[in-house]
Amino acid sequence: MATTLEPPTGEAAPPSAAPSQLGLERDAERAESRRGFLIGLPSLLYLVLFFAIPLGIVFVYSFGNRSRTGRTILGDWTLSSYERLFSSLVMQITGRSLGYAILTTVVCLLVGYPFAYYLATRPPKVRGILLVLVMIPFWSNLLVRTYAWRVILGSDGPLVQVLGAVGFTDVRLLFTPFATILGLIYGFLPFMILPLYASIERLDFSLVEAARDLYASGWEAFRRVTWPLSRPGVIAGSILVFIPSFGAYVIPEILGGSRTTMLGSYVVLQFLSARDQPFGAALSMAILAVMLASALLYFRSGAKDVG
Amino acid sequence: MTELSTAISPPVAGTTTSAVSIRGVTKRFPGGKGAEPVVAVDALDLEIEDGEFFSLLGPSGCGKTTTLRMIGGFEYPTAGSIQIFGEEVGLLPPNKRPVNTVFQSYALFPHMTVAQNIAFGLEMQDVAAAEIKERVGNVIELVQLEGRENRKPKQLSGGQQQRVALARALVNRPKVLLLDEPLGALDLKLRQAMQLELKEMQERVGITFIYVTHDQEEALTMSDRLAVMDHGELLQVGAPETIYDKPRTRFVADFIGDTNLLTATVIDGRAVRLSDGSAIRVENDRPVGSTVTVAVRPEKLGLRRVESDRDLTLDAIDGHVERVTFLGNALAYEVTADAGDPRATLRIRQGNAPGVEHFGVGDAVRVRWAPGSATVLED
Repeated sequence: MATTLEPPTGEAAPPSAAPSQLGLERDAERAESRRGFLIGLPSLLYLVLFFAIPLGIVFVYSFGNRSRTGRTILGDWTLSSYERLFSSLVMQITGRSLGYAILTTVVCLLVGYPFAYYLATRPPKVRGILLVLVMIPFWSNLLVRTYAWRVILGSDGPLVQVLGAVGFTDVRLLFTPFATILGLIYGFLPFMILPLYASIERLDFSLVEAARDLYASGWEAFRRVTWPLSRPGVIAGSILVFIPSFGAYVIPEILGGSRTTMLGSYVVLQFLSARDQPFGAALSMAILAVMLASALLYFRSGAKDVG
Repeated sequence: MTELSTAISPPVAGTTTSAVSIRGVTKRFPGGKGAEPVVAVDALDLEIEDGEFFSLLGPSGCGKTTTLRMIGGFEYPTAGSIQIFGEEVGLLPPNKRPVNTVFQSYALFPHMTVAQNIAFGLEMQDVAAAEIKERVGNVIELVQLEGRENRKPKQLSGGQQQRVALARALVNRPKVLLLDEPLGALDLKLRQAMQLELKEMQERVGITFIYVTHDQEEALTMSDRLAVMDHGELLQVGAPETIYDKPRTRFVADFIGDTNLLTATVIDGRAVRLSDGSAIRVENDRPVGSTVTVAVRPEKLGLRRVESDRDLTLDAIDGHVERVTFLGNALAYEVTADAGDPRATLRIRQGNAPGVEHFGVGDAVRVRWAPGSATVLED
């Protein structure tokens, strides 16, 4: 552009105009990508500093050795921490975590879907209020909310007393798998409801009418139209519930007992009590791998029919 | 195509009962907080005959779509009765009614292929797989979508999606097909082509079509009969020619086509006097001396140069050209009468045929009314 703006100097008609134009275009594109990079820089720095580097440290530590005093010796690399992952205790805890996480996800889906459907079909005003109600728990600390369950489920808590009054004496609720799973469901249900709501709300309800018009019963219309079209929400919600449930720490720690230890607590145990950082790090890497694999699997299974 | 028309033929047609019979149907929707309920359809009576192409025409909010949705089962009437071939269906859910709908936005299932969309209704009725295959194949041929069976709706053009929607309904051989502004999303050229195609298809399959539209031209082109609605009420039902030539009310005359509405005084049962004193022959049954509104279409008026007073002022108004608009195939004039208070303004449309005299602004002209071209309105 700059060359064409210059005053015409007779025969100096630029045959170079076309190439220089191209060069300028390239410059402009470069400037564009530089701007994009600058905008992304703060979040990139944040991720490197607080995610990539710590994760790298954990990765490196997982190949380290533990000294007798509990210090981690780096340099003398070993795979022994990874070998210990296949011990029966770790397998048992992993199995338990997996079971609890799956159960939590299924119950959240069963409870969350009808609620999300109800939510998505209300008039906008009611919808707004209900959405706020779903999100209110986020505004207070999970720790505090979980301790509240301890009071509710405790041996002199209201639930046990009511159960006792109707004849079920000697019932223990707190520190059981039931309490742990209940806590997980309670903690992560909003993560199921919100993506479900988003995908059901997007649904074109004239499609349901079309199904009914084409001789589908209410149930068939749901099975053949509503459910498959809300699958992206089901997938997103399930991942959002499954992953934090699988690695949960706070909830099982407060509501569970020694027989309900989940992987999160076991990792913490390695770092803080057993002072076995390499093993803790290897456990963390394994959990990460399971989560990554399950997320990938789920996304792939969903991507096939959606869109 | 002959075997197709037998493949998709209407079920046994009763000769005496109407295809759809709507009697005293009212639909009220609850209003907002403390507000009065909204009356969408008000005491509607309508008989739609077997094999008819029937249109419900009116502006948005006139109740035409609500009426269609009540026939389809998506709304239940607050009062009244709806019968399809003599069977009361007013409170049946959509899947229990022998009708199918072509939705305004087509409502094709996005996660199913064209063939799966079309087969849906048959699968829900537990039709045998072999028969489903045959019927889907036939109907795909009927709507000319061969080779696109395995596409998803998103991969089709608007016109093709429209055909899928039509096929998905027709494959079930409904007794009545409901169409809710099915051509609204298409551009003008395609819409006009689809209008002819729909009409042809309706004649071929012989199913009663009930067609909702706000496009008066569409309704006039396609319908055997049409009903004009406004504010939930039925204003006039009849053949397109009747509705166009003999509108009963001001609204119908105005909504359909272009029209001149003139105030006049009744001379006798066969003529009225306009405000400029001219006498116009028009059959009426109003008391002598009463004031009425006369409607006449612009293309039914003729325009002549005033040369002599040889012709009497019967069926003629003298005036001056106020405005001329060239429309290509026609010329639109606005002529103001020379006498009367207020002076009447007439719109006249003359075809741009050879030999038709053109006039300019300011020319003195005589507007001629062909006998029988005007009609006296009820309101």
